Amino acid sequence: MPGTVYVITSGKGGVGKTTTTANLGGALAKLGRQVALVDADIGLRNLDLVLGLEKRIVYDLVDLVEERCQTRQALIKDRRFDNLYLLPASQVKDKESVTEDQMRIVMRKLAADFDDVLIDCPAGIEHGFRNAVAGADQALIVTTPEVAAIRDADRILGMLGNRRCRLIINRVRVEMVRTGDMLSVDDVVEILGRDVVGVVPDDEEIIDTTNRGEPIVLDASRRLARIYNAIARRLLGENVPLTNLSEDGLWGRLRRLVTGTGQ
Amino acid sequence: MTDINREEMTVEEALSLSNQEAPAETAREAIARPDKKVSLGRTIVVTSGKGGVGKTTTTANLGSGLAEAGKNVVVVDADVGLRNLDVTLGLENRVRKHLLDVIEEKCSLDEALVRDRARRTLFLLPAAQDREKDDVPQDKMAALVRTLAERFDFVLIDSPAGIEQGFRNAVVGAKEAIIVTTPEVSAVRDADRIIGLLPPDVESRLIVNRVRPALVKKGTMMSVSDVVDILRLELIGVVPDEKDIIIAANRGTPVIDIPGSETGAAFRRIVQRLLGESIPIPTFQAADGFLTRLKMTLGLQRPDTRGG
Repeated sequence: MPGTVYVITSGKGGVGKTTTTANLGGALAKLGRQVALVDADIGLRNLDLVLGLEKRIVYDLVDLVEERCQTRQALIKDRRFDNLYLLPASQVKDKESVTEDQMRIVMRKLAADFDDVLIDCPAGIEHGFRNAVAGADQALIVTTPEVAAIRDADRILGMLGNRRCRLIINRVRVEMVRTGDMLSVDDVVEILGRDVVGVVPDDEEIIDTTNRGEPIVLDASRRLARIYNAIARRLLGENVPLTNLSEDGLWGRLRRLVTGTGQ
Repeated sequence: MTDINREEMTVEEALSLSNQEAPAETAREAIARPDKKVSLGRTIVVTSGKGGVGKTTTTANLGSGLAEAGKNVVVVDADVGLRNLDVTLGLENRVRKHLLDVIEEKCSLDEALVRDRARRTLFLLPAAQDREKDDVPQDKMAALVRTLAERFDFVLIDSPAGIEQGFRNAVVGAKEAIIVTTPEVSAVRDADRIIGLLPPDVESRLIVNRVRPALVKKGTMMSVSDVVDILRLELIGVVPDEKDIIIAANRGTPVIDIPGSETGAAFRRIVQRLLGESIPIPTFQAADGFLTRLKMTLGLQRPDTRGG
């Protein structure tokens, strides 16, 4: 049975598509899955940097599409994981150099060899978006609890056809939700009307790990690593309750200690 | 004159009003007589490559600040299909016509322009939400920007993310560029790419946005001088990362209106610098590590411009 191809998309840029792709991919690989990550942001690639694999690129997606190399030559193995591979984007070409049909063919090939294929979609709704979406079975919509991001997410939901679409709500600041300065997860779900597969708090640790090219899931003790792990398990069909973010942190730990609930 | 009456004024009336203290005649009058040389406003594209680094916020705040300084300003949303500048300015309920309607001559420019309530010399030219970027012909876009420059002191163009047609359309009519980036490797890499794609005669300046001084000091964030060192552009502003920006965005008001906001103050200083004032830019302690890594990846990518 072929693997599942997910496109990680958002409409708006800078909401965390690439970080989500890298960490979700890492989390799936740690669960024993064979995972391929595809950078579809031709001309503005970044997934290689976030994974720290930028120096190992020889061939890229465009080379593969134009049959200048074999699939296994273009895939870079991330040695820190058992089965995580990156198919990098070309930095010098532009998005028009690949067609939707070519993307479909490449994704079908990858799905034959991998359990999960995660496509990191470029921002916007232009050619690059259409390419990234073309070969995907399902979509994970990354959004933040901000008006502009939600509006853009709503717009792309209308462009994803009848694919299964689930939400990852990123950069939630619990204290701002509490003071009424930020939309809550419930608000976002109500507006977009889709299932949530993950809620990720705004955590400045991610800036550091991204800059260093070390996905945060490498360190299982980190809060965000646990959250990405939970999202990965939900994708695999496990019933993992959403982390109650307000129960996280010192107060949550105290409460769990006192009441003896949670882990 | 009461505010309600002002509301009813047409754009031309507003412009001629606010031009009263300005030199002799309005641009509009000058256009009517082609023999007279028209003085053009400044055309500035706000762009970044990477999305979500603060282009729209920057456009809204600089536009508002310039209008407050008495300039006639139009902010143009070039993100056809994913517009957001209207929301950031709190004008979304007043959008009737848009940029493509003007280009396709379905309405006049004045019908499409939305006038800000608080700042009477600030106008928004919204993007179409139900159309695509490929629908905008580049030559028409250039002509439109030129027309706007004849009527306004400042034309600020909010570019979409990416380097596709939408980016090319946003850039086509601009003489100046403001590159917005954050101190993160991916944003700096994309900024570097975009700088290489701008026409050589465009005068480019840099805003480093979302700086967290505490992280820079800890050594987990690039410093402003690192970013400037890599991109080699004139720095026009450094904006700290504060939660006021989210509050402002959700309220639909520019952050310069939030009292006591550091972020707002930073944007106000950029406005003054755009107007030619010399105001020192705060920088933060340098941190090592990322610099080497970034320079290596960029060096591989654009050796021609890295050398000298």
